[in-house]
Amino acid sequence: MFKRKVFLITGLVFLVLVLRIFYLQIIHGKRFFQLSRANSIRILPLRGARGRILDRNGNILVDNSYSYELMVYPQNIENLEDFLKKLSSILGVSFLELKSRIQNKLNSFLPISLIKELDKEKAIILEELKFKFPAITIQLVPKRNYPFSRLASHILGYLSSIDWWRLKRWQDYGYSASDTVGYGGLEERYDYYLRAKDGGLQLEVDNRGRPRRILGFKPPRNGKDLYTTIDLRVQKIVEEVLDDYSGAVVIMDPYTGEIIAMASFPNFSPSELSFNQSILKKMLSDSNAPLVNRAISGLYPPGSVFKPVVATAGLCEQRMDTKTSFFCDGSLKIGNRQFSCWDKHGYQDVKEAITHSCDVFFYKLGLSLGAEKLNEYALKFGLGKVTHIDLPEEKAGLVPHPILRKLNRRIPWFDGDTANFSIGQGDLLATPLQIVRMISVFANKGNLVRPYLVKSIGERDISARQRNILPLGIEDRILNIIHNSMKKVVEDDTGTAHILYLSGVSIAGKTGTAQVNRKQSHAWFTGYFPVENPRYSICVILEYGGSSSNACWVAKRIIEKMKEESLI
Amino acid sequence: MNNYHFKIFFISILISILGIFTIYSVRYPSNVLIPFPLYIRQIIWISLGLVLCWIIYKWDVRKLWDIAYFLYIITLVLLILVDILGYVRLGAQRWLRILWLNFQPSELAKLSIIVILARYFSHISVKEIRREANFIKSIFIPFLLIIVPMFLILQQPDLGTALMLFFIYVSLVYFAGIKRRYLLIFFLFLICLSPLLWVFLKDYQKERLLVFINPDKDPLGAGYTVTQSKITVGSGRLFGKGWLGGTQGQLRFLPEAHTDFIFASFSEEWGFLGSIFLIGLYYLFIFYGLKIAEHTEERFKQLLALGIVSMFFIQIFINISMTLGIAPVVGLPLVFFSYGGSSVVISFLSVGILMSINKRR
Repeated sequence: MFKRKVFLITGLVFLVLVLRIFYLQIIHGKRFFQLSRANSIRILPLRGARGRILDRNGNILVDNSYSYELMVYPQNIENLEDFLKKLSSILGVSFLELKSRIQNKLNSFLPISLIKELDKEKAIILEELKFKFPAITIQLVPKRNYPFSRLASHILGYLSSIDWWRLKRWQDYGYSASDTVGYGGLEERYDYYLRAKDGGLQLEVDNRGRPRRILGFKPPRNGKDLYTTIDLRVQKIVEEVLDDYSGAVVIMDPYTGEIIAMASFPNFSPSELSFNQSILKKMLSDSNAPLVNRAISGLYPPGSVFKPVVATAGLCEQRMDTKTSFFCDGSLKIGNRQFSCWDKHGYQDVKEAITHSCDVFFYKLGLSLGAEKLNEYALKFGLGKVTHIDLPEEKAGLVPHPILRKLNRRIPWFDGDTANFSIGQGDLLATPLQIVRMISVFANKGNLVRPYLVKSIGERDISARQRNILPLGIEDRILNIIHNSMKKVVEDDTGTAHILYLSGVSIAGKTGTAQVNRKQSHAWFTGYFPVENPRYSICVILEYGGSSSNACWVAKRIIEKMKEESLI
Repeated sequence: MNNYHFKIFFISILISILGIFTIYSVRYPSNVLIPFPLYIRQIIWISLGLVLCWIIYKWDVRKLWDIAYFLYIITLVLLILVDILGYVRLGAQRWLRILWLNFQPSELAKLSIIVILARYFSHISVKEIRREANFIKSIFIPFLLIIVPMFLILQQPDLGTALMLFFIYVSLVYFAGIKRRYLLIFFLFLICLSPLLWVFLKDYQKERLLVFINPDKDPLGAGYTVTQSKITVGSGRLFGKGWLGGTQGQLRFLPEAHTDFIFASFSEEWGFLGSIFLIGLYYLFIFYGLKIAEHTEERFKQLLALGIVSMFFIQIFINISMTLGIAPVVGLPLVFFSYGGSSVVISFLSVGILMSINKRR
């Protein structure tokens, strides 16, 4: 019967295990016990460096510098009083202060960190003292270094200790309570790749604390470098120009979705913010919201910047052709309300209406299209949903729909709302990043791209995975009409962005002055350049910046400086 | 009427409780800092496992026969899903997130393989398998059944569980009563195949550096881990260092001290006597499991019971012997004891099946 055999075999196998345990614990127990005992094992932590973040040409945006850390093995201290007095005289830190740092940890095998950042001179003096006091260990500790201080702060993010919420979610990925993690920007989004893995040496030491042999070695592992799509030169120009304003600028490659520059003001200094709870608290309560990346999380009504989309809808749905004109006498009565235009334009066809940003033309076009069609085209151009850029905290914005509005807020939808929708006002909200992607559709002949910032992680090129280019299926003929109209916005004497004509670069674009209740308007400019084979698309928004010409000025200065540095 | 099923039930609960204490101790004192500590999670998982165990016990185990293929397909779908989701998340991924807890479908795969093989072999009677059945029918077709999930699990990559599937297959082929000659041929075939597997293994380890998987696992190769594990076990000596007294696990110099190497953490704190006690419990568990199989007449149920008992036995043996440095390190949890939701739930489900088999004898 096989069953008896089976019982026998299982029994024997368990016996083998028991014998092995007996061998380890009883026969060799003494040796292993000594090895594991506190006074013969030291652990020397070795810190790995966090991955660097570089621009598209390999220039460093963030790297690491090293500082000296003083650590002490409590087990090796022979006379605590003497030892601390000596240290206190060298370091200039009071005896009691040092004592309080060391007090409750006297039985640890791990070294206690006494001073985090030590001067080089003191480090050398202490290193020499090591012969007298074997407890002393000086270690090199990597620390984040920002060569351009506040530059690209929103893209980079900052570092701090892991919080409850993240710890809960990331425990399974090997994070623990003592970890440092990135907050905001690439530091957060790519933390898993950037983070270093600390290693350590496990040493067997003799009774004087001198290392006798190495029992275990876990090498520290540096984090992986991130190669971004940012061009440091462009980023610098953008931040220089935008410095005094509150707002955001995004510059993107319209064909691939690579972000060339992205700035949001006010900004912050990552090095000041890291590990500094008090500054963080101050910034969080600051009404100017310096921590918010306005380029991806700022929601603004797009205003007239939205008009090219409405015009595209009109042409695609055949509600008009290039010969259709609408008459503008300065206002339009819808229901019992007057909807005004900013000027009296007379007869306007689609090209003129875009060039002059005529509101009445778009009220009429929008009403003939209907709110559902406007909604459809806004969504088609990527508004109302996140772009999936590789940054945290991206906002989706809002594209209104009559039925959704009734369902969610129980407010009926009027024709006046459709009119507002067609000039990019009302409930419509978008981020500058969504706008730059929307305008890129005209630059790249009909594709909605996914914007992204990181092209490779370490040696691994992830561009192919990052790119996501969605053809929208809009006829070239229609795209060309809008494209030519937006050229005229800059070229024509009467175009709303004619100031940009003087920059010496051929630009196509659209301005916007988005009205806000009881406050100054937001100033928009978005466009792309050079007109033939565009290399860059740009979006500028000045928060409460007044007239759109202010945004045009900013764009102009950026483009001029880029030309000076022959980046165009 | 015997009460083997209650015996294995209580033994498994007892082992689980010891496990919770050990997990608490290993993660001590950082337990205090963590918002949702592992031992609490483990308690939740065990409770869930007990509920499922009881449901299965009350259920008619014959229905497993009916759903065998369905279960198999579900397992494959889940495994493929893990692969796809893993791909989306830029790397290897063993878990599926269900509600707020992670589930590891490779654990389910072990159980569904047992069920489907038990069903397959119960079609063929012992006589048939001895006299008529050929190599293809008795070895090759069932092998096809396991090769797909095994491959998917290797992809994850999870060598331990993939091996488990294979061992389960071997033991069921054996218990099905196959001709000794075939078994010999088969083993010879395996020995020839093993260098191939070795080449494959090395590639997988290279791959491991590129793809991210559990970064805590084995940074310097098995050698380091085994040395640490042996020091941990050995330093426990006769009486151990006492609960919360372990130093190797708590200092994190023993990797995976709360999962794969938890036995070392336990024997460090409870010494030789504690280890003997725990091993005794496992032995009794296997013993009563075999008793259940012995007292079952129905072939499907018997094979099912034998499959489950072999699964437990092999896993316990591999885990403990790798901890003791007498088997290579493959990532496998110690059943009922290691931290790990899917493992705990599937183990208790299996206990439920064993109990149910004994109940309706």
